[in-house]
Amino acid sequence: MILFFIINKQDKEEIIMGIVINGATIETDENGYLVNLEDWTEEIAGKLAEGEELDMSDEHWSLVKFLRDYYDEYQIAPAVKVLTKAIAAEKGIDKKEASEFLYGLFPKGPALQACKVAGLPKPTGCV
Amino acid sequence: MEENKGASSCSSHGCNHSNGGRGEKFLNPTPMLDELEKGPWPSFVSGFKNLAERTKKPMLRGVMDQLEYSYNTKMGYWKGGLVTVDGYGAGVITRYSMIKDKIPEAAEFHTMRIQPPPGLHYNTAMLREMCDIWEEYGSGMLTLHGQTGDIMLQGIDEANVQECFDKLNEKGWDLGGAGAGMRTAVSCAGPARCEQACYDNLELHLHALRHFVGQLHRPEWNYKIKFKFSACPNDCTNSIMRSDLAVIGTWKDAIQVEEAAVTEWIEEKGVDALVNQVINLCPTRAISLQDGGMKIDTRDCVRCMHCLNAMPKALSPGKERGVSLLMGGKNTLKVGVNMGSLIIPFMKMETEEDREKFMKLVEEIIDWWDDSGLDHERIGETIERVGLRQFLDGVGLDVDINQVSRPRDNPYFKAKY
Amino acid sequence: MSSPERTWKTIESGPHTYMEALHPVVRKNYGNWKYHEIPRPGVLKHVAESGDALFTVRAGTPRQDTVDMVRQLCDIADRYCDGHLRFTVRNNVEFLTPKEENVEPMIRDLEAMGFPVGGAGNCVSSVSHTQGWLHCDIPATDASGVVKSMMDSLYDEFKHMEMPNKVRLSTSCCSINCGGQADIAVVVKHTRPPRINHDNLSMICELPKAVARCPVAAIRPTVVNGKRSLMVDEAKCICCGACFGACPAMEINHPEHSKFAIWVGGKNSNARSKPSTMSIVAHNLPNNPPRWPEVTEAVGKILTAYKAGGRPWERVGEWINRIGWKRFFEETGLIFDEDMIDSYRHARTTFNQSAHVRF
Repeated sequence: MILFFIINKQDKEEIIMGIVINGATIETDENGYLVNLEDWTEEIAGKLAEGEELDMSDEHWSLVKFLRDYYDEYQIAPAVKVLTKAIAAEKGIDKKEASEFLYGLFPKGPALQACKVAGLPKPTGCV
Repeated sequence: MEENKGASSCSSHGCNHSNGGRGEKFLNPTPMLDELEKGPWPSFVSGFKNLAERTKKPMLRGVMDQLEYSYNTKMGYWKGGLVTVDGYGAGVITRYSMIKDKIPEAAEFHTMRIQPPPGLHYNTAMLREMCDIWEEYGSGMLTLHGQTGDIMLQGIDEANVQECFDKLNEKGWDLGGAGAGMRTAVSCAGPARCEQACYDNLELHLHALRHFVGQLHRPEWNYKIKFKFSACPNDCTNSIMRSDLAVIGTWKDAIQVEEAAVTEWIEEKGVDALVNQVINLCPTRAISLQDGGMKIDTRDCVRCMHCLNAMPKALSPGKERGVSLLMGGKNTLKVGVNMGSLIIPFMKMETEEDREKFMKLVEEIIDWWDDSGLDHERIGETIERVGLRQFLDGVGLDVDINQVSRPRDNPYFKAKY
Repeated sequence: MSSPERTWKTIESGPHTYMEALHPVVRKNYGNWKYHEIPRPGVLKHVAESGDALFTVRAGTPRQDTVDMVRQLCDIADRYCDGHLRFTVRNNVEFLTPKEENVEPMIRDLEAMGFPVGGAGNCVSSVSHTQGWLHCDIPATDASGVVKSMMDSLYDEFKHMEMPNKVRLSTSCCSINCGGQADIAVVVKHTRPPRINHDNLSMICELPKAVARCPVAAIRPTVVNGKRSLMVDEAKCICCGACFGACPAMEINHPEHSKFAIWVGGKNSNARSKPSTMSIVAHNLPNNPPRWPEVTEAVGKILTAYKAGGRPWERVGEWINRIGWKRFFEETGLIFDEDMIDSYRHARTTFNQSAHVRF
């Protein structure tokens, strides 16, 4: 659940958004993405997933791991087609089925939900 | 999130919003924007103000305040994000205000892209029901239409997006494209009014966008791809420059000439006009003056449309009609503007079978691009990078002299041996 | 977020259907039109093979509309057109009726509501434009405001048909040029490289994407105050703003240094000459809200010269091809400077590779 807090930052009261973990406030932006990507832990990912009304299964976590490994290596989130190709290869299904599988796990889409839960930067742009 | 549709808190805003029928304005003063109420052209500012004063939606006031602020500072204050509906990875253009501490009523202002009917043909029942739903869930501001071709319903909170979409979807509306996938298409008026229409572009548009509806709602290509369907080479949808896949109506045989109407035209406008405005303007000199009349040599005609435009009663497209496919157009971002180039000079486009055949071909083309292209590379850029030859080979298309304006002027290639 | 009470299952329908939107006369004569003429500004008359006639009344809209405005247009369509209307690719509204007697009262009602009837044939039609400060996340200026100011000064040219051929205008709020190629286009031109926000760049951007986005490879990774960030080689930077779209921390927009350029000669149609892209003819015009008088003035100069000098059927680009660029700059009072010589990818194609010269 994303909560609103009033905190003291440099003697000014500021309303920020965030989640509470073990008494600490982890800041998120208005879209629910982590403001500081270094804050990410599995526990925080769980909270983010709750906020997205996602029931995190092994398949979900496997995808989150894939995203984070990819980002660690390449410093970018994988393109959706890279994701669907990886899923297709692993499960021995075709691209269309892989896409359906992906949206079955993350109904609002890999960019919006999977990247958010995995603590990757928010994808940009409509152009 | 709040159930209060379209509202957001303005308690820290300190604005005057409790007019209670005492004749005070709902909106805050906007002196810069007010300058745009002067002058004869219809004013979008007046439109906004009337809407805001009638509906008293705080989001409208917030957006007007933010726009006024932008006019003063000469900077924009929206940032993007990702809001969508269940099952779709795109279609809602997310906007959060970067100055919501100053203008909390503008905190969220997302836009829903909605696909219009092909050719932008509407009836009032459709438009009224869309407006009613939009006013209930969103700000009431909309754009007819966006540059890619969508209806843009501007101004909704995330909390209302799903329900608003569901209501619209029930009435036959669907989200438009965004991100790296198929985008909303555009068609000209087509056979629904225009005598120059060489194929049923409205039907092809519907067919094509239904065929690719999955890839529109769940983007997963290298980048975006856009169709535009012009029913004749006048290209009123600007497809050559504004789309990756430009489907332009054309004909193979001779322009149809009604001699009596030609004579009438010459009698009305004179031989001078025939020469200066028609014959001399043919780009390939396919028309000659003959015995005070005109003769078209079909072999020299490139179907540019000029003489048909100039003499609409006398000339019309030939009988053997179909489409040309041009590919690779894109506008200025990054590499500059590319014009689409002719790939398929002629395909019949009359039956469902013809349309299916066309869809299959486009699928092969897109598959090739998805494999060969780089991230954020439009198909025109891919073709330029790997070479037209490689593209034609890759997709299994025939080489055709109409694909080039002239053969190469350098000998640096290695023929097969 | 999806509501647990959601009962509707999405139908992925794509474009809305169009058949029901077509007037019965249109449906009857679908694909069987014979010719059209323009009996007066803003009115088209299409005649079918069957002899049926269809009248179209075209009017300008702000494009940036409200539900109230759309309902007003629906009232007109209900009153005169059996509920049928459409929009053009360039944001005009069109009302379609087979009844000639409805044309004059419709024009009267539209004008009384503030919608100018015109925009068809040899005239200035509505301006293609996009969102600007109202909504876009990239813009250096506003769109609707510039359009309103321009069209106020071109109002008569919209309502009459006194141009050599149709005139298509566009405006764009950044160099991506969403307004598109046009006879005359008004497009933002950034004049300084981006300013980089090193504090939050690595949190909000995928660095390799921003590096790859630059068409002249002017961006490199670096470390600033211990944080991963990017730097721009300002000598290479062409101020295109492509990186800003990939990474909002590369701030290219500036209230003073993002200015306007004017472009001419774009032509989409194939008629007579092949389609052409537009050329830059003025730049460094100030971004001057709320009415941008400098931009409006420059566009006015071009149109005045074109209206006086263009021959029938010549589009702006074709007029310039005939009279030559030298005369174009003289007659419009604009100035050709060294920055207008192409220095980008296909520069050679714009050089005068001939002895053709005008004095």
